[in-house]
Amino acid sequence: MSEQEQVDKKLQEELQNAFPMADTVDWNEVYQRIIYRYSTPHGLQHVKEELYKLEDKGEIIVHHIKPYNNPVKMQSLNGIPKTIPTDKLWNHKSCGQCGHIPGYPTSVFWMMNKMEIDYLDEPHQTSCTGWNYHASGASNPVALAGVYVRNMWRAYETGYFPLIHCGTSFGHYKEVRNTIILHKEIREKLRPIMRKLNMDIVVPEEVVHYSEWLYTMSKKAAQQKKYDLSNVKAAVHTPCHVYKLVPEDTIYDPEVWQGRRPAAPSGTVQNFGAKLVDYSTWWDCCGFGFRHILTEREFSRSFALFKKVIPAVEEAHADVFVTSDTGCVTTLDKSQWAGKAHGFNYNLPVLADAQFAAIAMGADPYTIAQIHWHATDVEGFLRKIGVPVDDYKEKFIQYLSDLREGKAQPQYLYTPHRKIDFYISVPERVKWYKKDVPK
Amino acid sequence: MSQSKLLSLPDDPRFLDMAYFEQGALPEEVRNLDSLKPEERETAIKFWQAVKSDFRFNEYLRGCLNCGVCTSGCPAAKFYDYGPREMIQYMMRDAVDKIWEFTNKKVWACVQCFTCSMRCPFNNEIAGLIMLLREYAVQFALPSAKEILAPYRRVLYTVMTLGNQVTPDMIQPEAFPDWGPQAVEESKNMDVYRKAIPVDLMQRTDVGWQPSLQTAVEMMTIMIESGVMDSIKKVDPDLYDMVMDIYEDRKAQLEEIKEKWQKGELNEDELPDSWLDL
Ligand code: SF4
Ligand code: SF4
Repeated sequence: MSEQEQVDKKLQEELQNAFPMADTVDWNEVYQRIIYRYSTPHGLQHVKEELYKLEDKGEIIVHHIKPYNNPVKMQSLNGIPKTIPTDKLWNHKSCGQCGHIPGYPTSVFWMMNKMEIDYLDEPHQTSCTGWNYHASGASNPVALAGVYVRNMWRAYETGYFPLIHCGTSFGHYKEVRNTIILHKEIREKLRPIMRKLNMDIVVPEEVVHYSEWLYTMSKKAAQQKKYDLSNVKAAVHTPCHVYKLVPEDTIYDPEVWQGRRPAAPSGTVQNFGAKLVDYSTWWDCCGFGFRHILTEREFSRSFALFKKVIPAVEEAHADVFVTSDTGCVTTLDKSQWAGKAHGFNYNLPVLADAQFAAIAMGADPYTIAQIHWHATDVEGFLRKIGVPVDDYKEKFIQYLSDLREGKAQPQYLYTPHRKIDFYISVPERVKWYKKDVPK
Repeated sequence: MSQSKLLSLPDDPRFLDMAYFEQGALPEEVRNLDSLKPEERETAIKFWQAVKSDFRFNEYLRGCLNCGVCTSGCPAAKFYDYGPREMIQYMMRDAVDKIWEFTNKKVWACVQCFTCSMRCPFNNEIAGLIMLLREYAVQFALPSAKEILAPYRRVLYTVMTLGNQVTPDMIQPEAFPDWGPQAVEESKNMDVYRKAIPVDLMQRTDVGWQPSLQTAVEMMTIMIESGVMDSIKKVDPDLYDMVMDIYEDRKAQLEEIKEKWQKGELNEDELPDSWLDL
């Protein structure tokens, strides 16, 4: 026996002594069980690997983030990098924002104009239909995947990278993306439907929430800040669907709550110079509930008031509640008025991070941030930070009456669409949209 | 080394729960199916079989410590007689009768916040399991689903035809009195307030943003082809008929406009500003 062989033999013996059950256990099975039990069904690393494998096999088209999207590398919960595109963005609007908090998307567009970011906002988009799904269950995985892929296809056609406005759409799309990637049977049912629409299965490289984009841009944006926020105590509600649905795929940053809570929107508030204040129920839901806000509001009202607004005021002495999702702005803002009847007169102003940032950068609180749709005392908050609210208001009331009498034409943040865009999606549409946009 | 000599782990690790005397799913005779009305028994069993054979079920249910962490953070549990731990335990025990009871009432209390899913030490996708029960409740047209969907009908109509969940003009004082005087003011002057939004897509009062006709038709096609409309037919046949009629009309309009456009015969000026006014 050579010397080497003797060493090997000795090594085997020692291993045998150290792990006497080593060859009576099927390690593969143990690994399988560990993976099964301790990884989430949606392990991000795994999903990403599978995504590129499917692309290589030609099963799906991946919408890549390109250098012209000015990508910035951030970190997700477990440290896996998440790439945030910051330019040439396709805005995936939110039905609840556009319907009831219109100043939310317009603040995003206004900031993009201000920071000279190229973007598209198209009529060729539906909502994610996730609100309906979570409220009623009247949908199924193939339908949800179809809605997602149809929207993603329209973004892919234009070369602009999708930016998701709604927190529910964001969380829901992360989940739908994982389902498409991990389940062949879903892809097989989805493909013929997409073919019928002359589309293929497109999956973007990342699902990106606008609040992640806003946080990524916030230091730069704050350079254009017009008002001093250093005396503002801001409580943040991080929307559940942003960080509890597919939790791994949300950005965290050691600079924000030491990396122990999601980076957005807390980090945005912080970078704009306001003081972040903490309250014990920071992690709790807002009370929206999808169905509850529509047909069972006694729950939404009580929950929002007792579990969110009161702790934010009593414990943290907040001047403003900042959040980053459709349902949360609606619930926290609209649930406070009824409390008055029972002597709970808190009236804590509620704003989306986008409105908060845009106003701080000098956006008109009425024509842009559209604060008149809010039920809480946003005006009072703005006076506190020095916004000349009354001047703006006077001008806005005049504008409304001019619009009513036909003396003024509506103002726009970007060139209005052509009529045909409201009917069909012409492949060359981007050229038309962009040709007369002043640079 | 032969396979038989391997230390074998229990077949399904989810059923290892020391809180129970007997391990594994309860045998048929121990289950309290008697508590169900005879006419419900068969549906209850079929329903549970359907949920269990869904491709997501095994991925979502991975085991349970019976620790109650899920229920301790659950907003719905603070308000209703409801808790996710209870549901997971029924699922682990294959308790058809209890699941049936749970689906027919409690399951609708959940607000889908996913706090339970994020907290569960077993990584159960609890909120997802709740959605499975709800999805199948609609597919089986269970009475609870019908009851829940009845006041929700207008919303479902908007989703299925426009791909939007809500409309600005649904905020009417009688429906949303609790939203305060601001909401009343908005609803009275909705037209001009919407016109003062600086984005053309958002200036209508009957939809959050205006999708293109093609987009609406494409989305309705997805809903039909994927079987969503079939389940709606079972729960609300009138709504189904309404949506399908609209689909046929819209599709015909779209085809006509597309054809004209392709032939270069479309005079854009003749089209109404919005296809919703067609
Ligand atoms: S948190 Fe998970 S393990 Fe604990 S009771 Fe709930 S489902 Fe079971
Ligand atoms: S998702 Fe539902 S069950 Fe889970 S914590 Fe939220 S309300 Fe409770």
